[in-house]
Amino acid sequence: MEGVWRGGAVKRKGRVAAAFAVMALVLAACSSDEPGDTDGTDTGTAEPADVTIIHGTTDSIVSLDPAGQYDFGSNQISQQVYSTLLEVPAGGSLPEPALAESCETEDSTVYTCTLQDGLTFSDGSPLTSEDVAFSFQRNIEIDDPQGACSLLASLAACGKWKDSAIETPDDTTVVFNLQAPNAVWPSVLTTSAAFIVPSEVYPADALQPDDQVVGSGRYTLAEYRPGEQVVLEANPSFYGDAPLNTRVFVQYFKQSSALKLALEQGEVDIGWRTFTPTDVSSLEGAEGLSVVEGPGGEIRYFAFNLNLEPGDEPAVRQAAAMLIDRQAIADNVYEGTVDPLYSMLPAGFAGHTEAFAERYGEGPDPDGAAQVLDDASVQTPVELELWWTPTHYGDASADEYAEIKRQLEEGGLFSVTLESTEWDQYTEDAFTDGYPAYQLGWFPDYVDGDNYIASFYSSASFLNIHYENQEVDDLIAVEQGSTDDAEREGSFQRIQEITAEEAPIIPIWQGTQLAIVRDGVTGVEDTLDPTYIFRYWLISKSE
Amino acid sequence: MAGRSHSLRRYLLTRIALAIPMLLILLTLVFLLMRVAPGDPISAALGGRLPQEELDRRRAEAGYDRPLIGQYLEYLGDVATFDFGTTIVDNRPVTDVIVQNGAATLELTMVAMVIAVVTGVGIGTLAGRYRDTGLDVGGRLFGIVIYAAPVFYLGFLAQLVFGKWLGWLPTSGRASPVVTFELDTKTNLFLVDSVITGNWEAFVDVVEHLVMPATVLGLVIGGVFIRLVRVNLIQTLKGDYVEAARARGVGERAVVFRHAFKNALVPIVTVVGLQFALLLSGAVLTEQTFNWPGIGSELVRYLDNRDYIAVQGIITFAGLVVVFVSVLIDFVNAWIDPRVRF
Amino acid sequence: MSMPALEPVAPGASLGRQRGVRRLVAPFRDANGVSKAVVWVGAFITTAFVVLAIFAPVFAPYEFDSFRTDDGVRFAKQEAPSAQHPFGTNVMQTDVLSRVIFGSRTAIQVVALALVVSLVVGLPLGLISGYRGGPVDRGLVLVMDALIAFPSLLFAIVIAFLLSDTFGRGVVTAALAISIVYIPQYFRVVRNHVISVREEPFVEAARAIGAPPRTVIRRYVFQNVVQNVPVIATLNAADAILTLAALGFLGYGIQPTEAAEWGYDIKRAISDAGAGIWWTGLYPGLAIVLLVTGLTLLGEGLNDVLNPVIRRRKTVPVAFPRRPEIGEGNEGAP
Repeated sequence: MEGVWRGGAVKRKGRVAAAFAVMALVLAACSSDEPGDTDGTDTGTAEPADVTIIHGTTDSIVSLDPAGQYDFGSNQISQQVYSTLLEVPAGGSLPEPALAESCETEDSTVYTCTLQDGLTFSDGSPLTSEDVAFSFQRNIEIDDPQGACSLLASLAACGKWKDSAIETPDDTTVVFNLQAPNAVWPSVLTTSAAFIVPSEVYPADALQPDDQVVGSGRYTLAEYRPGEQVVLEANPSFYGDAPLNTRVFVQYFKQSSALKLALEQGEVDIGWRTFTPTDVSSLEGAEGLSVVEGPGGEIRYFAFNLNLEPGDEPAVRQAAAMLIDRQAIADNVYEGTVDPLYSMLPAGFAGHTEAFAERYGEGPDPDGAAQVLDDASVQTPVELELWWTPTHYGDASADEYAEIKRQLEEGGLFSVTLESTEWDQYTEDAFTDGYPAYQLGWFPDYVDGDNYIASFYSSASFLNIHYENQEVDDLIAVEQGSTDDAEREGSFQRIQEITAEEAPIIPIWQGTQLAIVRDGVTGVEDTLDPTYIFRYWLISKSE
Repeated sequence: MAGRSHSLRRYLLTRIALAIPMLLILLTLVFLLMRVAPGDPISAALGGRLPQEELDRRRAEAGYDRPLIGQYLEYLGDVATFDFGTTIVDNRPVTDVIVQNGAATLELTMVAMVIAVVTGVGIGTLAGRYRDTGLDVGGRLFGIVIYAAPVFYLGFLAQLVFGKWLGWLPTSGRASPVVTFELDTKTNLFLVDSVITGNWEAFVDVVEHLVMPATVLGLVIGGVFIRLVRVNLIQTLKGDYVEAARARGVGERAVVFRHAFKNALVPIVTVVGLQFALLLSGAVLTEQTFNWPGIGSELVRYLDNRDYIAVQGIITFAGLVVVFVSVLIDFVNAWIDPRVRF
Repeated sequence: MSMPALEPVAPGASLGRQRGVRRLVAPFRDANGVSKAVVWVGAFITTAFVVLAIFAPVFAPYEFDSFRTDDGVRFAKQEAPSAQHPFGTNVMQTDVLSRVIFGSRTAIQVVALALVVSLVVGLPLGLISGYRGGPVDRGLVLVMDALIAFPSLLFAIVIAFLLSDTFGRGVVTAALAISIVYIPQYFRVVRNHVISVREEPFVEAARAIGAPPRTVIRRYVFQNVVQNVPVIATLNAADAILTLAALGFLGYGIQPTEAAEWGYDIKRAISDAGAGIWWTGLYPGLAIVLLVTGLTLLGEGLNDVLNPVIRRRKTVPVAFPRRPEIGEGNEGAP
């Protein structure tokens, strides 16, 4: 399952965000006497009334220990009970101080973070730099198969901790010595791999049992019934503003249809993750409920394996790019709940361009496709074996790929054979040269273009589609090492231009985030942003 | 009587001895099926997220590449000590899964079984007694049609009618969120717990949530019972002693209920036990439909995630229960009917 | 003086040995009204579905995966029943009626294939094991009992997983997964029957005159045993359809682009219910209920007719011949 991490900045379209070098100054300026809480709304100092929120979801929890999780469900709960050094506020665009009042760097290789004073865990024990170092070290050393230690690769490889990686000169200072310059390290500090756990309670070599988690977040875990429910209660010793509610129930459903029924019957207040397009369109007119939308960073695409036919022929890939009718897919299959995507770097991220639209036009162009194939002397119809997976990306995948098949076969240019296997077999075969072309999706780990571009287009990409372009690799190195925003955006733009031309991967759609909310529940629109953190502490009920 | 209990005890021991190879075969079957099935839990969780080398590395570290024989022997050893291990995908001790989710399934299936027996025996007896009349045809037809309707289809219709349109009953879960949180769960059987703690509000809530799933499942199984009870009753009614009773002038009603019925019921006990497998399959589907947190739906989830430790553990436990139930049934039969022992 | 012969009034129904077809048909003719009615109704329903399955392209207005008319106009999504779409359309923009009809083709195909495979494997195994006895028999019984104890649905799910790797997710995989579940049942029934038949005098006699086991089995045992098969087969077929639908509902069954399958359609329809879209789930479900009921009626009816324990013969009035009048050549008492 993908999806998971957020943490990081979403840059509003058209707004240039502060450079990372400048960030240090900004953070330093922001630090003040009061504990920094830069959440979207000004919560004031009133005591929240006795408010209970019930959230229904179809996710499931792998582990509530930061060292053992890399999935949506676990992260969602962990975000409420733990804290990180930096966090991205609701609707915000930069990592901002959380446990740390500042994190500075001069060369993107050594980062120095200063903790606030007087921090404690929910069990009363003090939170010091020792706990910080402990948290990172155990994550790397435990190297759990389900864990996210790979996110910390800049610090140390999984299972190979180096004592020089973190220094703790005093109780409130933490120094990270990265192995190579990494401009996105502050974003990494907002992900689940960077939750801080108490060194006195958590074992250094094993996972903490789920019902005994201790953190420093806005909530404590009051009850955990695996697969059924989680109950959170406001944490009185949290360093920042108290949540707008006192208790949160998270109810787990196996199927979205059950969740939908529960919503309609008033058994839950909020439904978030994950509904089918039909669920959404049918709930749009429902009494007492409303659909709240927010930007999302989830994307879907299909990739060609450049070592297998017919993906080895660029003209074939370009023709495919020209035949895809993204709007039709968005409207017919997804009922308008997704947007056409014209680049592997989605809209809303700095550096995004409509690369595929610029190169091939927005709508399908069967004549252009025929021309391209003809110029390259490719025999039509081109035989294409296209793979997809039935459940991992939702049931609508079946419809989506049936639709894509129809689009590609328009005009007799392609002859598509659709094949599918279940997810685990699929992942084995797809990345080991098993499929000539296959469906895939992506959720960001953190909200920075690097998480998309580098993951897909570098020669070392997990996709293993054998796309190797030296210029692209060089540009990736530039954006990873640079703290100059203009330079990074320039790199992203050029990469998108090149990869649209060569089209090893065809982007299809970008999802919006949706929550279905009972009337009277407030605050949901504040928290829906590309970080994919659902901040319970912003939710309340109006009487 | 000494002779009787001696032969009974010997029968019991033989029966248990026979059960062991059966159990072994079941366990081996589960083990093989899970290991031979494509995929592994790590790829299931993180494939498409991490590069292949990283996945391979994690797989090797977790020991999924070890030779099968070694894993098999280790597995057998663990089962012998009732160590069912810890699930891979959510780090829960499998015994916890069995106890907590198993209790949910137990509650559902027990109530369903009661409904099934009541409907089945009730309608089946009527059908058998008034054979070939409208009552018989009606009863048989009902039994056939209700079994022919897949339990998830019935469940879906029930949710539509009673949940959505009429709004009488909740459509998912064992109890509402607050009740689940506040109920003091000692046995994890919510009905029992709410009674023990005198929490009547919780009791009502739990019953409301139990009604639909248990009735749907119970009716479907009841459909099977109707036919079995009817056939058994008919066969019994042909027996000589029944003829004799009739010849003596005993009223038909007394013939059916006093003479035939008790004997017709004996095979029913066997039949109820044999339906256990059917009950579990039905429970899986019911749990999916009603979002019931039972062991069936957990099994499906673990299967999807290729969590072979969890699947093995659950199936092993199910196998143990099945074997135990069948031994118990045979024992009861042998106790009632001495002919069986030899 | 000879006893006057008693003659049944209904001509044609004879006592004594019968051969071939008449032996097969005899129980039916002798059966009483209700049992015959049940068989007829069941046979009618089943045949109707088989015909629907074979001639699906003729009956169905569209293909099972058609999403637009011949002019290229796309179907509406989840449109209510109308003139063009008597059962409406579903979320995949395909015609529900066509999918129900083609679904019967899928169901019949899968069940027929599963039946053949189960019989081909289970029948001979049961025959040999029952006839031979000994350690082989005991071993097989142990294995088969273990398999029967295993909840069939879970078994089918896991087998479907395994086979989908090699055979894809189509009719063959589903059929094989289901057949493996039912093989032990055929085995057990056949074996038990063989064991009881094996002790019959005529089998012993055959053995005594030196007939080799193969002949004994083939000529004497097989025919006796095979009588059981139709009942078990029809009832298993009914069950197989439910298993197939359950697999489809859980998502382990046949891929929608390969063939139409009722259980899968219900799975997709569950979301629709909350939106008031009832036609996408109602019709596939009704199809399942109808076909399974038909098969069960057929099986039960056959059981009623063939099973000597519970069957009831037609009561045939017997006419005594005309009593010769006193004084027509008789002297005195009989």
